[in-house]
Amino acid sequence: MTTALNHYLEIIRNNLRIDLAEEKNVISELETHIEDKLQELKECGLSEEEAEKTCLGLLGSAKTIARQIYEAHSQGSWEQAFLAAMPHLLFAALFALNWWHHIGWLSIILVMVIGASIYGWWHGKPAWVFPWLGYLLVPVAAFGLVLLYLPKEWSLLTIPFYFLFALWWLFCIVAQTAKRDWLFSSLMLLPAPIIIGWFLTLVPDAKITAQTMERVNHFAPWIALSFLILALTIAAFIRLRQRWLRIALLIISGLLTLTTVVYYVGGKLDVQTFAGLILVMWGLFLIPPLLERWLRKSRRIYKRHVFSSSHY
Amino acid sequence: MVQKRELIKGNSDSLLLCLLAQQAMYGYQIIKELEKRSQGYFQFKEGTLYPALHRLEKAGLIIGKWQMLANGRPRRYYHLTAKGHAKLSTERVQWQDFINAVNLILQPAEI
Repeated sequence: MTTALNHYLEIIRNNLRIDLAEEKNVISELETHIEDKLQELKECGLSEEEAEKTCLGLLGSAKTIARQIYEAHSQGSWEQAFLAAMPHLLFAALFALNWWHHIGWLSIILVMVIGASIYGWWHGKPAWVFPWLGYLLVPVAAFGLVLLYLPKEWSLLTIPFYFLFALWWLFCIVAQTAKRDWLFSSLMLLPAPIIIGWFLTLVPDAKITAQTMERVNHFAPWIALSFLILALTIAAFIRLRQRWLRIALLIISGLLTLTTVVYYVGGKLDVQTFAGLILVMWGLFLIPPLLERWLRKSRRIYKRHVFSSSHY
Repeated sequence: MVQKRELIKGNSDSLLLCLLAQQAMYGYQIIKELEKRSQGYFQFKEGTLYPALHRLEKAGLIIGKWQMLANGRPRRYYHLTAKGHAKLSTERVQWQDFINAVNLILQPAEI
């Protein structure tokens, strides 16, 4: 196949963002279709170049085909929507039913998060697994909190290593997710600013005291509500087909939830704070696509390198 | 021309189900067969065929399976599922009612 046709298929591949096994099927299918069409056109007397040009013209825009196939595959079932919303629902229940201080319930949820993440990861990374994966970052954050309780010298010694490990862990998860679709990275990271916002409100000096417990009790219904909104957002995300609608939903819902948290806790919302929140959400939605672009570019350079070394 | 395109777009799913009910086919074959059977009236735009096939497959109406041709080339053949057969039966009845109603308007019985 010529460079122009390969480039055409590459554009489709880059814009499909569907399950890897399905992606392989789609590309192979289009490849065989192009082969058949080229043969037919050449048999009609067209030159290689003319046949290629006509074939691409008949197929139409590569991005449109990719978008339409994405929309055919993107919508999840109601069961998948429920499964994706479940981690947020569990956390909402934890606070609404005042179970958050029971170590037994916390352990059960932790086991469920780890179990669902591992199961989904090894079973084709379906869309529902990404919200669960996001909660894998919670034990890492909790571990960092524990380090603050060590003797001062030990804290100073371990915290830099912890930060490096936490960043590496975050990078690995986001990079792996962005390989499939950067939008899933944003979906996974969506609760992060909201959880951090609540954490800074409840534990301003990073030390858990009796006062902290009182504050959690006071804010518990609102924390539950913010997780419930997240759950509804995720369920709607899974059911939507169009990509632009999914992006708009995550941005609007994330920003509204975060704004409500800040407004409820602070009692006011000035322009500067709101601008800051927009920046936080902007970062959340900007980092994954940039990372995806960087990963794709590195992959292309690697492929070119392998191709040129095999020819010389 | 635009009207004809819209007509194909609106009925592409029924046309594809109808073709696949008779025989399993792959994408390129579907385009050729549709053109041949309709004597050139239906010319499916190649880029719109695959999204339509994937949409039907996702809905469980058809299923794609890779098979080897006699010349050793692999092709993805689409088969109609039981759900697809049921859907087609319903659509056939609806189409027949529609055609009858249109005929009654276009060719009114002489009084």
